[in-house]
Amino acid sequence: MLLLQLLVNGLVTGCALGVVAFSFSLVYSTTKIFHVAHAGVYTLAGYLAWSLARAGMPDIVGLIVVPVVCAGFGVVIQRLLYDPLAQRRATHLVVLIASLGLLAIVQNAIAVLWSPDILHFDSTWRVQTIKLVGVTLNYAQIATVVVSVALYGATLFATRHTGIGKRIRAVASNPFLAELTRLHPRRTYAMVMALASALVAVPGMLVGFDLGLQPYTGTTVLLTGTVAVIAGGVGSLTGAFLVSIVVTVLQNLSLLVMPGQWSVGITFLIFVAFMLVRPRGLFAAA
Amino acid sequence: MTDHHRAAISDVAAAPVGRRLFTGALLAGLAGLSRHARAADPIRLGAVLPLTGPSAATGAQEQRGLQFAVTKFNAAGGAGGRMIEILYEDNQGRPDQSVLAFNKLADLNKVPVIFTGYTGPTLAMAPLATRKKVLLVNGAAQGDRLANASPYLINTLPVVRDEAAVAARYLYETGKRKAAILFQNDAAMTSGRDDFAEAFTKLGGTVIGQEQSSFSQTDFRPAILKLTSLEPDVLFVMLTDGLGALAEQVEQAKPGFTIAGTSFFADPTALRQKGSTGWIHTQVRVKAPPETAAAFKQQAGTEMDFFGIQYANAGSIILRTIAGVMTDKAELSGEAIRTKLFAIRQFNEIIPTEFKTNTASMQIDVVKIVDGKDEFVKSYTSE
Repeated sequence: MLLLQLLVNGLVTGCALGVVAFSFSLVYSTTKIFHVAHAGVYTLAGYLAWSLARAGMPDIVGLIVVPVVCAGFGVVIQRLLYDPLAQRRATHLVVLIASLGLLAIVQNAIAVLWSPDILHFDSTWRVQTIKLVGVTLNYAQIATVVVSVALYGATLFATRHTGIGKRIRAVASNPFLAELTRLHPRRTYAMVMALASALVAVPGMLVGFDLGLQPYTGTTVLLTGTVAVIAGGVGSLTGAFLVSIVVTVLQNLSLLVMPGQWSVGITFLIFVAFMLVRPRGLFAAA
Repeated sequence: MTDHHRAAISDVAAAPVGRRLFTGALLAGLAGLSRHARAADPIRLGAVLPLTGPSAATGAQEQRGLQFAVTKFNAAGGAGGRMIEILYEDNQGRPDQSVLAFNKLADLNKVPVIFTGYTGPTLAMAPLATRKKVLLVNGAAQGDRLANASPYLINTLPVVRDEAAVAARYLYETGKRKAAILFQNDAAMTSGRDDFAEAFTKLGGTVIGQEQSSFSQTDFRPAILKLTSLEPDVLFVMLTDGLGALAEQVEQAKPGFTIAGTSFFADPTALRQKGSTGWIHTQVRVKAPPETAAAFKQQAGTEMDFFGIQYANAGSIILRTIAGVMTDKAELSGEAIRTKLFAIRQFNEIIPTEFKTNTASMQIDVVKIVDGKDEFVKSYTSE
């Protein structure tokens, strides 16, 4: 039973991480920006939802409103930070540092405006539990799995079968050609940033419902997510999502054979070994 | 006397009488003005706390506690008419930043006292405190090595060894024989793990498993699951943060063992959670009088938790000592404040505290959390 519970816990954490990973992958594969500030949007979403809940709004309102606000924030980041840097032909390193700087600003602003303390939502639905086949889950965990899988499916469908999705793929594939064919890469970048920010807001809130909010946790989540993006194959949403689940399930199951302090190290050792064998990642295009 | 002063006096001696008188009067006037200005100048003390970064929640509460003590002290007239001002430096909870901050406060601002916290940063600053004779005051860190780190390091609460020993003794007395440990991987909490394991084993108990967590971690489910599978009688928890999340996840897992810990369990976030009911913990006397807690809440806009109380207490102890040094008309130095502190020895500011050594002795209670409140179980004394 311990095995099953650890497996399911890993699956829950992996689903949330998967959304972070594939939304990051969407930004990176399209804009080529290592958007570290994505972790800031993830964190901010939880705090915005917490404020709405404190103002008396049902949690479902936060789940609908906050992604829209975060989408707007994503556009602002693209327009006021990344676009000007691109126009000045800033190197990838400069853009990365700018993104890191923005992350630090967002995290510290959250600590000042809300609190550096761990905050918990007051709502009771999230801690109510159900027991299925000996596995206990609370509603926040169940919501995390259901919503994350739904978001993954919807994003995959949108990028493959809609006009916007095809445009994003075209710009990602060749921005120069996209410019010539009037696909407006800059507009597409803003669109991708909005979409990715809205997507990452959802696990930001759902994990907050389950585990509480802390201004600095987003960084670790994003770092693990980027590992999944690389191991899954850069540009592959499926790879990012599935490898995220594999990583967290492995981390959980490793507790059966070793103390917890080794689990992250061993998981990443497996990742390093895997990258030596398949450096382009699991689902990379040929 | 500096060369500049010597030159000024020799110039006066060489001048004609009238000019000498005028210059002398001018110098005397300036000296008087300087003395007057100095008497009105605030007494500046330093504090090196984690004001940003993952430990910022704790650092902010420590800052509020200190500021509470200072405000109260200044409102009562200060030390010999001089107000107290604290210069805060942010160390982000890091030892390297702490050393830089310490040097700045000691060398540039010439403060005689520096408040600090966290075992790692405090240990990093302790040799500097010895060398520069600046009194380092630790209000909350409990790592065992702090007890002997420097003659200029004052710990205003017992080290974790004392509490862990009391917890082990109480748990063994109440029939617990198999213990598991969940600890945070920092110096103080690791000390706590080792101290508890040693004390519990010495009494005849067995530690059957342990899991660690990182600071500000909120997902304890894997650790709880694994330790539950070992079927311990008690889970000894050494965490300073995330206790609210732990309580929620314990409530979800409903394990059949007792959960025990130390004074860090006096966390309002944890106490609010239903899952914390039944937790046992040692408690150095950290209950502030109700009127003090209310005044703190009014000033700081938040509840007076463990760290708030500890730093209000540490601040009050040092401010009372400084007032004593001022009354003695002694020079306000780290050395003089240290000597005076041991001369006073017994303090009854917010928490009754005695200094037989550099580390405070306090009464340690064992309490049980019931519906968000501590219920007294038994009392022991730390040495």
